[in-house]
Amino acid sequence: MIYLDNNATTRVAPEVLDTMHPYLGQLFGNPSSAHALGREMKRAVDQSREQVGSLIGAADVSEVVFTSCGSESDNWAIRGVLATRPDNKHIVTTLVEHEAVRNLCRLLENEGYEVTWLGVDHNGELNLDELRAALRPDTALVSTMLANNETGVLFPIEEIGRIVREASEALFHVDGVQAVGKIPIDLKSTAVDLFALSGHKLHAPQGIGALYIRNGISLPSWIIGGGQEQGRRAGTSAVPNIVGLGAACKLALVDDGHARIETLRNRLEDEILKSIPNARLNGAADRSKRLPNTSNISFAYVDGQNILMHLDHAGICVSTGSACHSTTHESSPTLRAMNVPYPVAQGSIRFSVGRFNTEAEIETTLSVLPEIIAKLAAMSPYQEELMSGRAVSQN
Amino acid sequence: MQLCDHFFNPRNVGDADEPSFTGRSASLSCGALIRFSIQVDEGHSISQAKFRAAGCDVLVAAASMLTAQVEGMNTAEAAAIGQEPAVLSEQMGTENARCVELACNALLDAIREYSNTAREDWVGDEVLICTCFFVSERTIEREIQTRGLTSVAEVTRVCNAGGGCGSCHQLIQEILEANDLPR
Repeated sequence: MIYLDNNATTRVAPEVLDTMHPYLGQLFGNPSSAHALGREMKRAVDQSREQVGSLIGAADVSEVVFTSCGSESDNWAIRGVLATRPDNKHIVTTLVEHEAVRNLCRLLENEGYEVTWLGVDHNGELNLDELRAALRPDTALVSTMLANNETGVLFPIEEIGRIVREASEALFHVDGVQAVGKIPIDLKSTAVDLFALSGHKLHAPQGIGALYIRNGISLPSWIIGGGQEQGRRAGTSAVPNIVGLGAACKLALVDDGHARIETLRNRLEDEILKSIPNARLNGAADRSKRLPNTSNISFAYVDGQNILMHLDHAGICVSTGSACHSTTHESSPTLRAMNVPYPVAQGSIRFSVGRFNTEAEIETTLSVLPEIIAKLAAMSPYQEELMSGRAVSQN
Repeated sequence: MQLCDHFFNPRNVGDADEPSFTGRSASLSCGALIRFSIQVDEGHSISQAKFRAAGCDVLVAAASMLTAQVEGMNTAEAAAIGQEPAVLSEQMGTENARCVELACNALLDAIREYSNTAREDWVGDEVLICTCFFVSERTIEREIQTRGLTSVAEVTRVCNAGGGCGSCHQLIQEILEANDLPR
């Protein structure tokens, strides 16, 4: 199997697994216990907190709180800020957020909040003048992602944070889930108040996330119960997962594999765009404005899900923005916001490279893909229909 | 199983040889597009059925299965299959009824194009209305008058007219209106 879907989730790294292993065995204590075993667990949790804090450049280790996943962190950050500012009913976010933020903000609209949805240009980039203009005295929160999960396009959170500080009283929440472990992050030098991350995107197990809450910001407790996580989120600490996240953060910080991942991604992207007809990059062509591991490429006039299934048949895992299930049946909101035309958006495939991919795997993918695209393109009626300008019956 | 087979090895991909009749169907929500083309012989049987599609696995498999099923059928039989996407969905074991329906609609659209042409080209003593079941205007009028029929559904029940691709429903409606005399 060739796994090129590392933005969906990642394999737990052997170093991470080794670190976790004792905590699934003899080190089974509760960090809240006063005895020696409990104290040892607490030390492990504290160390992980430090490791997470180091990776994201937190000024103080107490700014890191463990959660169960990125979505929980996003929900807590947004709900928490709004609860502390009951008179401010305005939120600024973008049209290309992950569902955790996007769907929550849609829900908040029904709960009486006004949401300004910032659009993006065809490169997937924000217009910061629009952001500035959207800020109001009653804006409670600005929430943007750092890296788009589908295209890898980066939002300039330093600049966004500066604008938010200059032009409003709002707090700034960043969904950093897709970026952590892939690019350097230094929150202490950035005007970010809350920052969500998730372990399984950087080779920790699923079921562990964290929320960075800048010192001085007090959010209501998210889970009421015992005094875990400084009383901010009750529930017995998931020590094996927490230890795993810490080890993964350490690995991301000391590992020198980032350049290698970028080289593999570049090779894949360059060759596809060069050799496959009607292949187009979704997202900024300038690679410094994207994650180093992600390529979102549209194969115009063919269906992404079809491509995905043929690649799957060949043992290659990717994902697509054009999901067709019995329930949902639409193209990706991110690509729609970027104004990618339908017949192009529906053929989008996201390749996301990770630390376990090899050069040989990239070459295999490059050898399999053109034939699949050619076969599907020959089947597609799109180009001829578009050229003939015929109307089609709608369903 | 059938779904998988027809998806990975779709039958009858391409365009039917000329003269052919083409039907189309598209989804504005996901961008799927399908084109069905058929060739019909003098005995009103589908001698060739082909498709081209850009859509999900279900759409491709449904279209492939439809082409395989309708080849050799007359247009009435083929239209009956196109009218029953639920049956095809069940054969495929899919819950994605929308994409199966999209394929069926393209087939029906192709049959209608054939029917409209066949009706226009028809040279006979009586005007032909339903080309699937070969029912003339005079037969339909006679049934309407003798039985006092008032709807297209009633006409179809009595003489089959309109029971195939449905391209003549508007014509039957017009005949009904012309014969709606005070009694």
